[in-house]
Amino acid sequence: MDKGEFNPADAPAVPTDAFRVASVFAFEPDAATATFRTSGTTIGARGTHRMRDVGTYDAAALAFGRAMLAPGMTLPVAVIVVGPSDTEATDSSLAHMDALFARAWGPGGAAATYFVRGGDLDADSLRGRVAELPPTTPTIVLATSFALVHLLDALGQQRLPLPPGSRVMLTGGYKGKSREIEAGALRRAVSDALGVDPRHVIGEYGMTELSSQFWEATIARSDAPQGVYVEPPWARVVAVDPETLAPVGGGQIGIARIEDLANVDSAFALLTQDRVRRVQGGFELLGRAAGAPPRGCSIALDEMLGGA
Amino acid sequence: MSRTRQERVSDVRRLLRAAQQVYAQRSSLVSDLTRATGLSPEGVELGFASLERDATDDEIASLVGAAGDVRHVHVVLSANVFVAPMRALALARAAAPRVTVRPSPRDPVIARALVEAAGDDGISLVEERDVGAIEADAIHVYGRDATIAEVSARARSGTIVRGHGAGLGVAMISPTADLGASAEALSLDVVAFDQRGCLSPRVAVVVGDAERAASFAAALDAALTDLGRRIPRGTLLDAERQEAVHWCDTLAFAGRLWRGPQHAVGLDPGAGLVIPPTGRHVLVVSSDDRAGVAARIAPIRSSVVTAGSDDPSLAQAVAPAHARTARLGAMQRPPLDGPVDLR
Repeated sequence: MDKGEFNPADAPAVPTDAFRVASVFAFEPDAATATFRTSGTTIGARGTHRMRDVGTYDAAALAFGRAMLAPGMTLPVAVIVVGPSDTEATDSSLAHMDALFARAWGPGGAAATYFVRGGDLDADSLRGRVAELPPTTPTIVLATSFALVHLLDALGQQRLPLPPGSRVMLTGGYKGKSREIEAGALRRAVSDALGVDPRHVIGEYGMTELSSQFWEATIARSDAPQGVYVEPPWARVVAVDPETLAPVGGGQIGIARIEDLANVDSAFALLTQDRVRRVQGGFELLGRAAGAPPRGCSIALDEMLGGA
Repeated sequence: MSRTRQERVSDVRRLLRAAQQVYAQRSSLVSDLTRATGLSPEGVELGFASLERDATDDEIASLVGAAGDVRHVHVVLSANVFVAPMRALALARAAAPRVTVRPSPRDPVIARALVEAAGDDGISLVEERDVGAIEADAIHVYGRDATIAEVSARARSGTIVRGHGAGLGVAMISPTADLGASAEALSLDVVAFDQRGCLSPRVAVVVGDAERAASFAAALDAALTDLGRRIPRGTLLDAERQEAVHWCDTLAFAGRLWRGPQHAVGLDPGAGLVIPPTGRHVLVVSSDDRAGVAARIAPIRSSVVTAGSDDPSLAQAVAPAHARTARLGAMQRPPLDGPVDLR
């Protein structure tokens, strides 16, 4: 590298596992105003992301979230969170983002917003809330995949139609919290049960260790394909070879190296174990890298995670 | 049921003689084993040191006592180290006058060699993969949790399924340990089977401060480098190498890493446990005192099959009750007194 020249791709990426065992922040610990933790699916310690100030996170999430989830909407609209509140899940970055959206886009002082309490879906209250919605004003539903599966199970053959023009964000994996449904099938089932245009059911990809999120763009762009996630202008996802960590060619599968300028107080570049493939207009998310296939009887990392 | 205790002991002894024969002819098996296991020829030779070829009367009595007593045991060998068929056959033969065994499709070498050498009419090899088609009183299955669950689900009603799952070993370095000697001994346990055994140590807890743990990590790095020259690592699969890269990068960022040509030792200074992948990777952590060792390994307690230490009393005091204990350097050679995995 020439003196004075900085190529972001040269920045070493911090493996996400490092957030479990090391302090990854560039300020005095006492100065942290927010601490987000990963869910308890790791061995021994949860990943921790401390922030000195959530201002950058909030501004980034709101700007890109609105562009992807609420383009063309006249705000405020009713926001329904099929997840816990940020006062219940105080260390969840997802709960923080949901609450942020609800406060920014919902009507002031909205009463019923959160429908997972103590880890359980309150389906009856959710039904009541939907019944109260103004029939001509679209609403926004923010949900995790497993909570939506619980909702579908609770509904059975019933439908719970939302007002026309409504949008649904689904995010996150299952982590053993519900039966698993393939992404496309879940989207179709949600679309059918809630009476929402399938292109208005969009995926969000984020993680505790980041300050930016990535979205499917099917609401924002009429020609955007489903299953392709797009980055905000201040972040990018690079598919890299899991062994050499060098970028792989277009169309090839690699693991995600994520560069996030909104991560101002922690790590600019992260190395995940999520498999991605760059495609026209964005990237596809292909699940977590499979563990090494078994040879011998030493326990595999995946098995240990399952039993932790 | 149909045999006296002495007959059952004799059947196990016949297998031990077969193992001695196989061991004596091991050079003829090396190329097949290197192909099947990915180990280097030297690694195969080291692995043969763990093949049980002798046992005391008390050990066999214990094995027979733990085996159960039925008419027919079917053994499913799925994922295991290459010498493991010996103990699996011994347990099954101690339990039943009739044993059928389905060798691992990937690594059938030792199972076939033992059955052939034993010349025992009570043991036969079968290729049937559907356990639902097996009429046995008991099925002993060696493999991953998913394999054990699958066999349990497919087995005929009334068939007892004994699962022998995957696990790992933990080393405990006492406050009085000679760090160099302990590292040298532990390196043998790590290198055996390129760490792919359920007895293979992947974590070492050093009683003392972080500085002492770092000294031990450095000593282990040196010992693994030295041993690696004499017993080169075999081939790693792509996914194994990728897991290794991720683990090494994590430790290099969050802790300290000694990266050797065929191994890596990581020092985790925090409270977490970033469990290394197989392939000669060891995580070293410290514990202020002996009592803290149990807390250190608590997150992986249920997976620990054996605990090795320079001080047997330390391992016995803090290892999970289900785990075997051993001296460093002997973690891969438990006596033939029952299953390897006592969970």
